[in-house]
Amino acid sequence: MRIFERRAAPAEGAAAAALSTALAILAALAVGGLLFLPFGADPFSAYAALFGESFLTWRGFGFTLLKAAPLILIGLGTVVAWRTGFGFLGFEGCVMIGAAAATWVALMVREGQILAGLPFAAFLPLAILASLIAGGIWSGIVGLFKSRFGGNEVITSLMMNYVALLLVQYLVSGPLREPGGLPQSPRLPRETWLPQLFDGMRANAGILIALAAALVVWALLLRSRIGYEMVVTGLNPKAARFGGVEVGRRQFMAACLAGGLAAMAGMVEVLGLHHRLIDGMSGGVGFVGMVAALLGKLHPLGVVIASTLYAGMTVGADAMQRQAGLPSSIVFMIQSLIVLFILAGEFFRRYRLRLPGRRTASAGEGV
Amino acid sequence: MTPFLSARGIVKRFPGVLANDHVDFDVNAGEIHALLGENGAGKSTLMQIVYGLYGRDAGEILIEGRPLDLRSTRDAIAAGIGMIHQEFMLVRRFSATENVVLGLKAGGALKPLDLEGPAREIAELSRRYGLQVDPAARIEHLPVGTQQRVEILKLLYRKAKLLILDEPTAVLTPGEAEALLKVLRTLADQGHAVVIVTHKLHEIMAAADRVTIMRDGRVVGSVKTAESSEAELARLMVGREVALTARRSTRPAGPSVLRVEGLTVMSDQGRSALEGLSLDLREGEILGLAGVDGNGQSELAQALTGLRTASGGRVLLGERDLTRASPAERRSAGVAYVPADRRHVGSVGALSIAENAILGDQRAYARFGLLDRKRGRSFAAGLMERFDIRPRKPDYPAGKLSGGNLQKVQLGRAIASDPRALIVEQPTRGLDVGAIEAVWAELLRLREAGKAILLISAELEEILNLSDRIAVIYEGRIMGELPAAQADLRRIGLMMAGSHGEEDGHADL
Ligand SMILES: Nc1ncnc2c1ncn2[C@@H]1O[C@H](COP(=O)(O)OP(=O)(O)OP(=O)(O)O)[C@@H](O)[C@H]1O
Ligand SMILES: [Mg+2]
Repeated sequence: MRIFERRAAPAEGAAAAALSTALAILAALAVGGLLFLPFGADPFSAYAALFGESFLTWRGFGFTLLKAAPLILIGLGTVVAWRTGFGFLGFEGCVMIGAAAATWVALMVREGQILAGLPFAAFLPLAILASLIAGGIWSGIVGLFKSRFGGNEVITSLMMNYVALLLVQYLVSGPLREPGGLPQSPRLPRETWLPQLFDGMRANAGILIALAAALVVWALLLRSRIGYEMVVTGLNPKAARFGGVEVGRRQFMAACLAGGLAAMAGMVEVLGLHHRLIDGMSGGVGFVGMVAALLGKLHPLGVVIASTLYAGMTVGADAMQRQAGLPSSIVFMIQSLIVLFILAGEFFRRYRLRLPGRRTASAGEGV
Repeated sequence: MTPFLSARGIVKRFPGVLANDHVDFDVNAGEIHALLGENGAGKSTLMQIVYGLYGRDAGEILIEGRPLDLRSTRDAIAAGIGMIHQEFMLVRRFSATENVVLGLKAGGALKPLDLEGPAREIAELSRRYGLQVDPAARIEHLPVGTQQRVEILKLLYRKAKLLILDEPTAVLTPGEAEALLKVLRTLADQGHAVVIVTHKLHEIMAAADRVTIMRDGRVVGSVKTAESSEAELARLMVGREVALTARRSTRPAGPSVLRVEGLTVMSDQGRSALEGLSLDLREGEILGLAGVDGNGQSELAQALTGLRTASGGRVLLGERDLTRASPAERRSAGVAYVPADRRHVGSVGALSIAENAILGDQRAYARFGLLDRKRGRSFAAGLMERFDIRPRKPDYPAGKLSGGNLQKVQLGRAIASDPRALIVEQPTRGLDVGAIEAVWAELLRLREAGKAILLISAELEEILNLSDRIAVIYEGRIMGELPAAQADLRRIGLMMAGSHGEEDGHADL
C-alpha cells in the first residue's frame, strides 16, 4: 500500500505557503531541541541563548546584520536568475569577482594612486559600479553561453566558480599581493571602509545597501515591464516568445544582474568586514545565499527575512558555543533541518498521508 | 435497472467557484452517455471526481448500486472506471504494448518483463473492438487518432467497464472522429458504459443514447437523443436559442494586407513543413485555410508571427518586409495571433488572467518602465465582461480556467490589440456553441472593420460559414483556392485529402 496520496485540493496561496513555512521552522526547532538533551542542556534556555544573543543584544544583532547583508544580496541574485528560468549556481565565484573588483578600486584610493583623496561619497558608487560590472560580466559569460550556444548554465556556472576562485588566488599571490607573507591583498585605506551603522555596533552600511537592493529587485521583478517579461520567461518561455518577449535577451539580463548582485555581496564583505582581498574568503556564502533564496520562496522580501534568520542563527551558534559550551554544529544541523522541513512542507501541501478510514470528502483541508 | 455508475449530490468548490452544485449523474452499462454544457459548466470537474482525481465536498458515488470508497484514481480503476485525458499520457518512444502495460505490476521487479502475453492480449482486444492497433507500433509513428485508441486499449486492458473521454474528438480529423464513434458504439454494444464530454451537437445526436446537460455547475436536464434535437440541446445548455449560422454581408475585399510569397519552413523534426507556400490576405476578408491538422498550418502561423524562421520566401505586411522581423516587431506592425495551443503557447498558467490579458501588449501598459497593473486589471475586467469569461475575476489564475474560457481570453486579447491582420488558429476548438456563436460574431465584426483575417481551422463547417475565400492546405502546399460561393464540401474534402479537387484536372491556383 502506498504511504502518500495526492491531496485532492492542494493547499495553495500565499497564506498556506507562509503557514507551512512557519510550521516547518517550529517543527525543525522542536526536533532540533532534542539535540541539546545529550549535553544536559535545557532546549528552551539554549534557544533563548541562541536567539537572545543574535536578535536581542545590540552587539549580537549587529553581527547578525553584518552576516545577513551578503546573504541578502546573493539571495536576491538567486531570485532574479531562477525566476527568469536561468539555473545559475555560480554565485560563489561572483562574490569573489566582486570582492576583487572592489579591492582594486579601493586600492586606487591609496596615497599616490590615481584616485587618491576621493571622497567616500564618490568612491562608494564607483565601487558598487565596479563590482556590479565585474560580476555582471562574469555571469554574463555564462548567460551568453546559454543564449548563443545553448550551453547548460548549471554546469558552466559551477565551473566558473572554480575559475573565479583560482583567479583571486592568482591576484592575491601576484599582482595584488601584500608585500610580505600571506596570500592576501594589502589592507584597504580606511577611507574606503563601509561606515558602521552606529558607534559600537558591528553592522555597517552593507545592510543598507542590501535592503536598498531588495527594494530595487522587488520593483524591477514584480512591478516593472522588464520584470514581468522575465517572470513570464521563467514560467513559460514559449508563451514569452509568443508575447514578443526576447527570451534570450531577458535571460542574459537576468544572468548579468544576478552576478552583479552577488558581486556586490563580495564588495560588502571586502569593504565592510575583511578590508582586504583574501584567498578563499567567500567560504561558501554563495551557496548559503541560494538556500536563503529558497527559504524566502524566491521573493525579495522573503529573502530578507530568511537571510536575517539564517544569519542570526549562525551568530547565535557561536555565542552559544562560547557561553554555554554547546557545540555550534548543533545549530548548523538545525539550519539544515529547517531546510528539510520546509521542503517536506511543500510536499505535504500537495500530498498527505494515506490513512485507513480517511474520507475523500474531507480532502479540502489545507495545512 | 441499476445504473453502472451513479453520482449523487456531488458538490465541488474551488476557491471562489462552485464547480459542481449537487450534481446527480447516472450512466448505464451498454450506453453512450454524452455530457454537454457550456465552457466552465463543470463537466471536466465532475468527470475528474468520478475518476478519483479530485476530492468532493459532498455527495457519493455508487457502482452498480453499492457505495464506492473513492479516494484516488487507483480506487476508480479498481472499480472499473477509466478516463482518457485530452492530453494523452503516452510515452512516445515506447510501443503500444509497452505503453499499455506501463505502470502495471508485473511479477517481481527482477523478473524480465513479459511482453508477448500482453501483446497477444492487446491484439485480441484490438480485434474484438475494431480498434486496429498494431501492438508493436511505436507511439511516435502513430497518427493522433490511433494514439487515442491506444489509450482506449490501456483502459480495456485494465478491465475498465466505464470509459470516460473528455473532448475526445477535439483533436481528431473528421474521419478519425467518425471512426472513434464507431469504436465507442462497439464498446457499448459489448456492455461497456461510455461517457463522452463534447461540444459537438451533431456528434451527440449521431452517437450518444442519452445526454446530460450541465449549466453553471448544475444538471439542467437529461434527455434521450432519440427524443431531442440539436436545437433543443443547444437551448437547454445555453438557456436561449442559438443559431449557429453566420450571417455575412457581401462586401468587396480591399487591397492586399498580408502577402506570403514562396514561404518555405522546416518543422521541429527538421522535415519540410511548408514548401513554397503563397497566400494573399486582403483587407476586410476572411481567408479560410482548410486542412487536416498537421499539414503545416501551425508552422505557417508561426512563420507569419515570427515564432519560426522561414528558410525561404517572404512575408509582407503592406509594403513592409517582415520576413526577418521579430515577434515583437510583427506585433507592433499589426499582426496578431491566436495560437491553437492555448495552455502552452498562448498563456502562462501560473499568472492571473489580468497578467495574461496584457501579454504581448506589456509595452503599452508600462509607464516609466513600471507596469500599470490597475489598468491591466480593468482591461481584463472589460474583456471578461465583453466575452463572458467566467469566473469574472481578473486575479484568478489563468491555468485554472476551463479550456473554453481560456480561449476567450486569448481571442479577446488579440482582438483588443486592434491588429491589421489577425491569424487565428482553431479559434473554436473546445468551445461550447454559445461561445462559438460569440467568437464567430467577433470575427465577422473584425472583418466588417476592415481587418484581414486568416482563419486556420480543421472544422469545415467553420470555414464554410465564415470565409470569403477558402484555401486548402495539404502537406505544406496550397492544393487550391476558391471563393466561398463556389465551395462545396465534396471538392474541399478531396483537396484536403491531397487531390486537386478538379475532376477535369484544372486547378484554381
Ligand atoms: N483546479 C481548479 N482550481 C480552481 N478552479 C477550477 C479548477 N478546475 C476547474 N476550475 C473552475 O471550475 C469551473 C468548472 O471547470 P471545468 O473545467 O469543470 O469546466 P468544463 O465544463 O469542463 O468546461 P470546458 O467545456 O471549457 O472544458 C470553472 O469555472 C473553472 O474555472
Ligand atoms: Mg473541460
